[in-house]
Amino acid sequence: MNWNFEILPDFIFNGLRDGAVYAAAALALVLIFKATTLINFATGELAMLGAFFVYVLNIEQGLWLWLSIAIAMLISAGIGAAVERALVRPFDPADHLPVVLITLGLFLIINAVAGDIWNYQVRRVNDPFGQFPSWVPNGSELKTSSEGTIACLTNSEGQLAEVAPGTSGAEMCEMVGRTFFEVIGARLHYRTIGTWIALALALIALAIILGKTKAGLAFRAVSSNTESARLVGVNTGRTLGFGWALASVFGTLSAALVAPALGGVNPNMMLTILIYALAGAALGGLDSLGGAVIGGLAVGLVKSVLVSWFGVVVLGQAYFSILQLAMAFLLILIVLLFRPAGLFGTRRIERV
Amino acid sequence: MSGDDWPKPFPRPADDETSDSDAGAPGVFAPSSDPETGPSAFSVAGVTSESPDPPPATTTTGVTLKPPDPPAAGAAVQHFGTGGPHAPRPPLRRRISPLSWIGGALLGIWLVAMPLTSSVTELRQNTQIVVMVLAVLGVNIATGYGGMISLGHGVFVAVGSFAAAYAVDDLRLPWAVSIIAGAAFAGALGALVGLPALRIKGIHLALVTLGLAIVFQPLAKRFPAFSGGVSGRAVGAELVPPEWFGTSRWAEGLYHYLICLAVVITAMWLTHNIINSRPGRAMRALRDNDTAAAVYGVNLVAARVNTFAVSASLAGLAGALHIVLVPFASQESYPFSESLVLYATAVLGGLGSLWGSVLGVAIREVFSWLGALFENVGGLGPLSQFLSLLDEEQFVFGVLLIALTFVFPRGLIGMFTRRTGERAPRFRRNRTRA
Repeated sequence: MNWNFEILPDFIFNGLRDGAVYAAAALALVLIFKATTLINFATGELAMLGAFFVYVLNIEQGLWLWLSIAIAMLISAGIGAAVERALVRPFDPADHLPVVLITLGLFLIINAVAGDIWNYQVRRVNDPFGQFPSWVPNGSELKTSSEGTIACLTNSEGQLAEVAPGTSGAEMCEMVGRTFFEVIGARLHYRTIGTWIALALALIALAIILGKTKAGLAFRAVSSNTESARLVGVNTGRTLGFGWALASVFGTLSAALVAPALGGVNPNMMLTILIYALAGAALGGLDSLGGAVIGGLAVGLVKSVLVSWFGVVVLGQAYFSILQLAMAFLLILIVLLFRPAGLFGTRRIERV
Repeated sequence: MSGDDWPKPFPRPADDETSDSDAGAPGVFAPSSDPETGPSAFSVAGVTSESPDPPPATTTTGVTLKPPDPPAAGAAVQHFGTGGPHAPRPPLRRRISPLSWIGGALLGIWLVAMPLTSSVTELRQNTQIVVMVLAVLGVNIATGYGGMISLGHGVFVAVGSFAAAYAVDDLRLPWAVSIIAGAAFAGALGALVGLPALRIKGIHLALVTLGLAIVFQPLAKRFPAFSGGVSGRAVGAELVPPEWFGTSRWAEGLYHYLICLAVVITAMWLTHNIINSRPGRAMRALRDNDTAAAVYGVNLVAARVNTFAVSASLAGLAGALHIVLVPFASQESYPFSESLVLYATAVLGGLGSLWGSVLGVAIREVFSWLGALFENVGGLGPLSQFLSLLDEEQFVFGVLLIALTFVFPRGLIGMFTRRTGERAPRFRRNRTRA
């Protein structure tokens, strides 16, 4: 047992950064679940598609990064609304099987189409919060290991492999340039702060949309009671389409934020994130927006502190890093078993 | 339908079962038991468990807790197009459509002609296809008969093959024992998964099993003793045919084929018997309405665990037979998408029908054959790229899943079992939203 408390803040910051991404993805799930009691299994793949739009607009077309992200969000919103209108609305929301089939079908289709167009390599994207320094040649890729630490740098020809063999991820970051503040002896990366700010801005925007606009009011009405909302004249179909659009925007946000940390975009990038996001959403309660944010942050924190710090550093068991995903799965299982409503969700009372 | 008399956990619009409505749509979320898949689970499990011939009023859908009032029964009868609202139903008899005869004949011809005309490699691949029926059947038991969405059956297949490999190689058990051990181990794991399914239902269970499918691969890499770690494990033992059978490679392939075919047929026969026995009726009862099933004395815990155990051991059996054919087992072969494709195959063929699983696998092979045809069509620009998509199993299955959800929720087997004049069943449509 090696209680290495000095590096704990590092893990907390990293956990909260990952958590912010999971929170955004969990919000995408919850926005849909809240309105329709359906889980959109294609959430991760729709988000991945959004990240690829950012890639195409920014890297291939050379648009300004933030503009690319904004356009990608708009396109995803359109796709989300279109999916709702064409594939989900025709079916009775109380019957789960058809919508499970539809979203799984979408999952498979989007994954295969993205793989066909962009193949399964990791493609580097620009980091919204800090670019590569000028000595890194164009077209370089950051290869990352599963824990997200930088392993080596290669360019498109595969040359320049391992700028510095044997350097750790942290040392490599030093070489790439100073990308962090020092806070209580720990590194608070620009990317971390940027992710938090982006999530916070998106949450404020969501709060304004849901709280102050007419469409938001309609959305709240529909998600609290579809029938009554319809009776007072809310166009429920259009409102649900709006909910799917919002959800897709949050999915794209999460994918765009996480892509640089993963080393780039690839068609399978959102698979594991989907599991963490599901864990976050389940923990917060599947129909609570605030719960999704807190759940997502909590999952990131648990993953980083309990598994990476306690398991790997304190217990010295390297295999704990693989158990992160298993932890998320266990969390889903335990929450659904013992507290299906999560921490903040509405408890459903079933009358028999 | 009487299943709708029960309060549902989610708000649902009132059903207007007019004549053009999709009466007979799935009860809770699985296709309801229809006349083709056997009499209602409840009428047999509960009321008339001793009587072999259930009364006509209960033969259309699952749950009839209170005596069915005439209009409800009438609507149901009208739906199946067998007479006026109050006309007595004719006694239940299986009517086999001509399509089924053709399909069955084709299957029989293929089973006999295939080994005679195939090369050694083709024979091996085709035997794998035969074995896959078991895995799909496993999904079908859990989802089609048990009403529990399982998106993680690839995991059970993998575990079955690892366990069989472990038994035959490390424990040096004979093949027959090892294959059964593989199935049993997967079944035990399935029972374990069945326990949470007691509380986690519907879409939440889908979520958990999808999680299982995604988590499996990284986990399997961590247990090299069992799964061979990242690179997988080679299986040293070989199933060698007896001397009199011949010693050529082709004879060995034929021997494996015959053994696998025998196991598959036996397993299907056993499954058929299980489904039509008391545990099987309990299975279907809790699919249609678990509260009502409990009222009728079905032990929910045992029924759910049984269902998952049977279903997982079928998948495990497929995995165990797989290492007879290919002496190599690796987590690489079981990405999460394999589980999803298994599920899609089961849905495609038809949930709640044994032959549906066979049909699903057949269709899967037809599409992979078609896809391979289009794979290398070059020179058409973007069109070639689209055609190469058709070779992607994931893409084809995704499209088929969505298309079937709209057109054939009972799966393609519905084409074979539907009676003349009967409307194709649909998933219940959304009638309340604009």
